[in-house]
Amino acid sequence: MSTRAVEAWTLEPLKRFVSEAAARLVLLMTPAGQVMAQHGFSRAVDVMSAAALSTAIMASTTEIAKQMHQPPFAALTHQGERHGIFLAGLSTNRGTIVALVVYDVDVSSVGLVQLFYEQLAADLQAASPKEGVPKQVLAADFERQLSESLNTLFGR
Amino acid sequence: MADDVKALSAQLAQDPASLVFLRLGELLRQRGQLDAAHRVALGGLERHPHLADAHDLYARVLADKRDYERAFDEWDMALRIAPAHVGALKGLAFLYFKVGDVAQAVSHLEAAQRAAPDDPGIIQAVAMVRGGQASAAASGLGIERAPEPAARGAAPLEEARVFAGLEGAQEGLLLLDASGRVLGGALRDPSGRDVSEPVAAYLAGVSQEAARSAKLLGLGTWTGLSAEGRQGHVHLAQPTSEALLLVVRDRSVPMGRLAIIAQRAAQAAQRWLEQQG
Amino acid sequence: MTAAGFGRALDLVTRVRGVRGAMLVSAADGLVVADQLMEGIKGPAVAALAGSLASRLGRAMTAAGVGESVFWHLQGSGGALLVVPAASGILVVAVAEPEVNVGLVRLELLRAAEAVA
Repeated sequence: MSTRAVEAWTLEPLKRFVSEAAARLVLLMTPAGQVMAQHGFSRAVDVMSAAALSTAIMASTTEIAKQMHQPPFAALTHQGERHGIFLAGLSTNRGTIVALVVYDVDVSSVGLVQLFYEQLAADLQAASPKEGVPKQVLAADFERQLSESLNTLFGR
Repeated sequence: MADDVKALSAQLAQDPASLVFLRLGELLRQRGQLDAAHRVALGGLERHPHLADAHDLYARVLADKRDYERAFDEWDMALRIAPAHVGALKGLAFLYFKVGDVAQAVSHLEAAQRAAPDDPGIIQAVAMVRGGQASAAASGLGIERAPEPAARGAAPLEEARVFAGLEGAQEGLLLLDASGRVLGGALRDPSGRDVSEPVAAYLAGVSQEAARSAKLLGLGTWTGLSAEGRQGHVHLAQPTSEALLLVVRDRSVPMGRLAIIAQRAAQAAQRWLEQQG
Repeated sequence: MTAAGFGRALDLVTRVRGVRGAMLVSAADGLVVADQLMEGIKGPAVAALAGSLASRLGRAMTAAGVGESVFWHLQGSGGALLVVPAASGILVVAVAEPEVNVGLVRLELLRAAEAVA
């Protein structure tokens, strides 16, 4: 399975996490849904859907927490018959990153994913460049940037 | 000789606590009546568990029945009770010789020679073992009724005989590499199906997880993994950093004993792997 | 079972000399259900790794035809992990010194497993 990154500094921490947690799919993205790195996806359309849905879920749950006067939820997990889903946000020098992890319950567990997710968060924080916060994506640039990101993510 | 058996049996029946079982058991063993010898030796051992001769007799019967693993334990026990027991030293020398460990065989024979300097059998066995002549050595030691074809001496061990001398070598011992490929031994499930390959494949993952757990939990280097199952016991060891060894036995073999068996098998496997390399 | 009940089950294990901590772990998730650990032992890591090892070992044992695991023991040069799977999908786990009395820990883990089943 391939692991690819638009932001190069995310690549090594992601590879390590995938290997330790035995994750099947991983997506690292900004809260706006801009994909920074991925592992295991084979089609661009899947990446786009997963990113859009994940960030929407994060936005909804953050809002629910706000309504309840609580800090944002640390992580959301769902365990299905064959797969588990883990969705959480982490802080880096380049801002918040949302991580979506899908794992096979036969080869991993939410406990293992959580354990190595803490390591991923620490590794990404350490690897993230301290300067050069990316500029806001303008609507006019969005499609071009998305297309470039997908090309990088799928090695085109 | 039949009369001797009859007379000794009568004597034992009259006084079950007497030591006559030693003569009777040995006589039956020499006559090849191994099941009867086994019963007599075991009965005697139950009454005299701290008698080195009783363990020696039982070990001889077991060795004749090719149950070398248990024979090793019995001779080992005899030596714990009586460290200079000549029979046990000779027996262990024979077993070491069988698995190709000439140095250990000679060392035990020399200890036996110190205890019984005039025993011509030992003198002959030392010479034969050093010369690599297995059958003659076995005959000198008086261990086996029908010694097996020549042991390997210091020559490289054949793959099929990685675990020679250990009971169940082809059924309950599996040597594999770190990626889950079978190197030696074999494993069968209770229905008799060969399950070596699937088990080896699963074990590679078990060993990786054992190593990771030991490292992350601060347990040091993992040295073994033993598990008690509903139908049997298993012990996983690492003879070298690149190999794994699984020993499987039924539930009658206690976990502690299984660990000892695994340790011995790991040493044999280590020697074999070194010779291959 | 209440939290106090879990605590009593874990007490059985932690009172054995050489045991540094005991836990109840959800086998399928590798998550902590209850624990009594000495300082320095990372509960979530123990739970995740014990759960994962139990699952991998279980598959190997089934393939080998020795049936489900009743007790297992990972020996390390600096300590040991001892585990008994309880009927309810819970693993009763002990983290111990390398010289611990394994037989005694096993008995107490089995008793604790009965209590939480």
